[in-house]
This record gives sequence, structure tokens and C-alpha cells, in this order.
Amino acid sequence: MASVDIRNVRKSFGKTDVLKGISIDVDDGQFVVLVGPSGCGKSTLLRMIAGLETISGGDIKVGDDLMNAVPPKERDIAMVFQNYALYPHMTVAQNMGFSLKLKKIPKAEIRKKVEQAAEILGLTPLLERRPAQLSGGQRQRVAMGRAIVRDPKVFLFDEPLSNLDAKLRVQMRTEIKSLHQRLRTTMLYVTHDQIEALTMADVIVLMNEGRIEQAGPPLELYDLPANMFVAGFIGSPAMNFVHGRIENGAFVSTKGVTLPLGVAPEGLEGKDVVYGVRPEHLHVVTEPGVGAEAEVQIIEPAGSETQVHLTLGGDEIVGVFRERLDLAPGSTVRLTTDSAAVHLFDPESGRRHIL
Amino acid sequence: MSTVDHLNDERAPEGPAENRRVPRAGHFLYLVPGFLLYAAFCLWPIAQTAYFSFFRWDGITDMRWIGLRNYLELFTDPLTLTIFGHGLVMIVFYAILPVLIGLLIVAIMTRVRIRLLAIFRTVLFLPQILATVVVAVAWRWIYAYDGPINAVLELLGMGFLTRAWLGDFDTALASVGLIGTWINFGLCMVLFIGGAQKIDTQLYEAARLDGAGPVQEFLAVTLPGLRGEISIALILTVTNALRNFDIVWNTTAGGPGTETLVPSYLIYEGAFITRNVGFAAAASVVLTALILVLTASITIGLRRRY
Ligand SMILES: Nc1ncnc2c1ncn2[C@@H]1O[C@H](COP(=O)(O)OP(=O)(O)OP(=O)(O)O)[C@@H](O)[C@H]1O
Ligand SMILES: [Mg+2]
Repeated sequence: MASVDIRNVRKSFGKTDVLKGISIDVDDGQFVVLVGPSGCGKSTLLRMIAGLETISGGDIKVGDDLMNAVPPKERDIAMVFQNYALYPHMTVAQNMGFSLKLKKIPKAEIRKKVEQAAEILGLTPLLERRPAQLSGGQRQRVAMGRAIVRDPKVFLFDEPLSNLDAKLRVQMRTEIKSLHQRLRTTMLYVTHDQIEALTMADVIVLMNEGRIEQAGPPLELYDLPANMFVAGFIGSPAMNFVHGRIENGAFVSTKGVTLPLGVAPEGLEGKDVVYGVRPEHLHVVTEPGVGAEAEVQIIEPAGSETQVHLTLGGDEIVGVFRERLDLAPGSTVRLTTDSAAVHLFDPESGRRHIL
Repeated sequence: MSTVDHLNDERAPEGPAENRRVPRAGHFLYLVPGFLLYAAFCLWPIAQTAYFSFFRWDGITDMRWIGLRNYLELFTDPLTLTIFGHGLVMIVFYAILPVLIGLLIVAIMTRVRIRLLAIFRTVLFLPQILATVVVAVAWRWIYAYDGPINAVLELLGMGFLTRAWLGDFDTALASVGLIGTWINFGLCMVLFIGGAQKIDTQLYEAARLDGAGPVQEFLAVTLPGLRGEISIALILTVTNALRNFDIVWNTTAGGPGTETLVPSYLIYEGAFITRNVGFAAAASVVLTALILVLTASITIGLRRRY
């Protein structure tokens, strides 16, 4: 168990800068999720922590030890790979015990540790099988078992669930989280799935193009996104953005639709802004004379909620409604918003205005 | 986390699709042309050879049934036994050495990236596509008394080692064998490089994080990953070693004395020189059986067990 201190880390492959100065403090025992779009450098950062990539600049510390020049096997870090990377010719037990065998730990002790880990992960009946005889989820568990038996200072996961089907993914998500609660080992987890990030993380680090856009607890990123990128990335379906300006303390879209604001924004009068509201914060109202008119385009019922694509003036927006609504494509509804949940962004920098 | 219920709702490991149909009689009709060709040019000669091996025959006059006498002679004559022994020595040079060298190079390659791999690969594969006569002539020159090997030895002050490598009783067999090593190791390497490129690089990374050094990494990842390629390489090269004739014939012609005689030579001699066709046939049968047994052992020994 150890903290991980990532200080202004950079990485270039030849001329391309992949990481442009990343700093993250991971406390001992924390579950940190690195999330971001494909190609933003998540895997690269994780591999640098593991020692599989060299560090072009900055420092990586595990506990109090500087890791920059330490070879992977001396870092005491375990990694779970996306495609599991199990040794195909070894049984489950041999796969899990391999690192201990290399450390010349007595056979009986290896056996004990492997059996313990297998017990935690429900792999006991499968110990003599080979990876080819396992399902995806079982392989996934063996890969975690291989990490657990080592009792490492830090666990790294690189998109460990992306090869599983949706149902299994949800189940393994819970299992990894409960594994973390049980072991209390520091974990760094890479994913491009924001739902995984929201559900699992103590701290989310949202990366984009080699930089950190925002780091913090999941609900902080959800409630108070630092900018339009974070607002658009976290939450599904994504936040609606409507371009317009503030006129007389109200928001008027470029198409001329007025949308409600909670607090009259100071110092933004007459300025161009982007109005951001999450689909779940839109509401259909029936009282006459209230709300903005929108035309229903597509209705997607999902059981517990209904997703509705609408046009507001000319802007396309999405609403998620929990109540059963009697809507038909082409019909007109009137919408209001939870004005407390509305964000205003600067259209140039993308930054959120503090209201 | 319960240990039982998450085992239940998982899919079984995916097996081969169960949609094999029982072939109808008519389907075999499509095999007939191919089978006829195969029978005419492969099965029939084999059967004939096996048949001839029970006769004394000079190829022209009447055949005389002598039962197993050809085989008896083959297994009791010290010279034929020595010659088959040479065949086994050739396996070391033609098969085992090239495979080991190939593995060594691939082991290095998985650790260090080699630039210009394509050129390197082509150069090393070249011996495979050169006509063996050309190869033999070239090596005869290299091994010659006034050839480059001796020249280099002289230069290094090791003149006492110089000799006519292919004419020396002590070195002839090994010298011929090393030509085979040179020819075959390129083949092994190309096979192994191809195989190594199919090995998931994450396996190497996993091994490194597990604490494996270069040797352990090779044993845990590369070697198991190349199982199939090693098997193919051994089958090709062992067969090649035992059938080897042209290289020997074009370098030493079996000499000095009987030092470099190989099994194929027995067949050639019996069939075309001493006109003892029955004996040549028996030697062919034994050689074929030996190749079959060895390749079958290799296939079974290196079969995937997972
Ligand atoms: N060995 C390499 N040489 C050159 N460029 C590389 C190398 N490895 C990664 N890159 C580049 O670095 C960038 C970040 O790659 P990385 O694999 O870290 O992305 P990622 O965030 O993990 O994406 P994904 O979600 O698709 O896995 C990409 O643009 C990629 O092309
Ligand atoms: Mg990645």
C-alpha cells in the first residue's frame, strides 16, 4: 500500500507530445479513475507508472520512492491488462502463482496465497483449467487474481472490462469496487467509459489531449464541471449546449428562444454565453404560458425513463423524463429547467462562469 | 462478494460451431481426380518400393523373392549402420542447431528492436532459395585448402588448424553438416520471427511486471508461443536432414572414405551403381519409416495441450 505522486509528467514519442504535464496526487488506498476520450494518453500514463514506458519529464513517486529509473519488476506494482495477458500454457493456479514462483517463494506458501485469492474471486473450482477453457469474465478474474496474490503497493487497471458484454461489465464493476473496499490497496483504473468512472471512483481524473481537464470526486465533476469538455464528457446522455446571449438578465438563444436562469448573472449582461443543461434537468410543463416551446422529434422509451430528442427554436436538445408522458413526434411541448442546475459557459475558452 | 453466484451467469467457453454435416456419397466424387493423381504418383511408387524390398533384383532381369534378407543385411552390415548413424548426426546439424540458433536470435529480438528487420530476414532466408548446387560449390570453395577459412586462420596465427576441411577424416562430416545449418537456420528464423510477431506484446509486459528476467520471459512467453513454429521447423529440417543428398554429393561425394556417406546415398548407389534395387528399396523403406517416426514424435511431443 502506498500513495502515488505524479508530478508534471510528460511523454513524447519522437516529436509528438502525448502527455503535456500531468500532476495527480493519489492518496494511499484511494481508487482513482483516469478517464478521457480515446488517444488522450491514459494508457501511456498508466504504463509509465508501471515502468513499461520511459518518462520524458517530471517525476513519479510511489510512497516516498522516486520510480523514474526503477525497472518494472522492482516497483511492486501489479497491472491488469485489457486483454488479460494470461499465459496460455499455464493453468489458472500457475498463472496466479507465477510471480511468486519467480520470487522463489516456497511452493506451499504459493499454494496458500493462490487458494486465498481464488477464494476471494470465486475461482477455486477453476484452478486447474487453462485460460482457453475460461469465459471472458473468468479470465478477467484470473488476471485480477494474478495481481492480488502479489499483494502489491499499487494496482493498475487498463480498461479491464472493455472486452466483456454489458451485463458482465456491470457485475465486474461492482466486484472490483468491493475488492477495493476489501483490500484497501491503492488503485489506478483507466477507462473511457464515464459511467464506469462515476460509479467506481473515489477521484476521477478527466484527461483530454495529454492534459487534465478536471480532477475531483465524481459528483463534483458532474455538478460543477470546470468547462464545456468536462460537462459534455461526464453524464449520459451528454449535457445540452445552447448558444446565445444574456439579455435583461435572461438567456436568449441565437434562435430567439428565452430560457430560464436561476440567478441573474452579474457582469454577463449582453455577453455571448453557452447555456448548459443536462437532459435530466429538463421538465415538461402543462400550465399555460410557462416555459419554452420545443418540438418533439424522436421518442426513445427505456423503461425507467424516456429519452426525447427535441428541437428548441432550431437547436437540437435531448431530454430525459422519468414520468410517463403522452408525446407524439411532431407535437409541441413546453419545457422548463431546474434553474439551479443550469450552467453558463464562455463560448471562447469553454470555461464555466461562476454564477 | 459471494463465491458462488457469479459463476452461474457466465457464458460457457466458446466451442467449435456444431454445424458439421455428414458428407454424402456424392461429395466424395469431387475427391476422385485429386486422389487418382495422388495414388498414381505417390501411393503406387511407395507400394512398389515396399514390394521390391523383398526381392533381389538388378532392375532388368527376373526378380527373386528373398523375404527379409535385404532388411537383415541393412541392420547387420556395420557400414550401413554407420551410414544411418551419419543421418542422425545430420539431424543435429540440419535441425537442432538451426532451431537453437533461430530461437536465440528471436529471444534477442523480443528484447531489442532490430532495425532493417526485412533486409536482415531476406539475407538470412537467401540460402533457402539458392539452388543447392550453387550452395555446395560456394562452400567447397570456402572450405578448400586455399579457401577463406584457412586464410583467416593463418591471419589469426592459428595456421596449425588449417586443413582441407571437407577432405579431413575428422572434420568432413561436421563441415558438411554446418552447410546444412547455414541453409536451414534462415528458414527457422523466418518461421520464428513470424511466430513471435503473433505473440501478444502484453504477455511480455505482464511477465516483466511479474518479475521475469530475460531468460524467464523467454521460457514463459516466447518458447510456449512458438510451439507450433518449432514443431514445423523441426519436421521440415529433420526430414531435410535425413533425405539430404545433393549437398553431400556435390561437396564430398561421401568421402573421404565413407566418412560422409548418408542414407540417401545408399539408395542412389543401390539403384543406379551396384544395381541392387531390392536393397535400395529396403533402405528407402527404412529411411521413410525413420522419417515418419521422428516427425510423428515431434508432432505429438510439441502438440498444443491447451
Ligand atoms: N509507442 C508509441 N509510439 C508513438 N505514439 C504512441 C505510442 N503509444 C501511444 N502513442 C500515441 O499516444 C497517444 C495516447 O495513446 P494512449 O494509448 O495512451 O491513449 P489512450 O488514452 O489509452 O486511448 P484508448 O482509450 O484508445 O486506449 C495516441 O495518440 C497514440 O497514438
Ligand atoms: Mg488505452
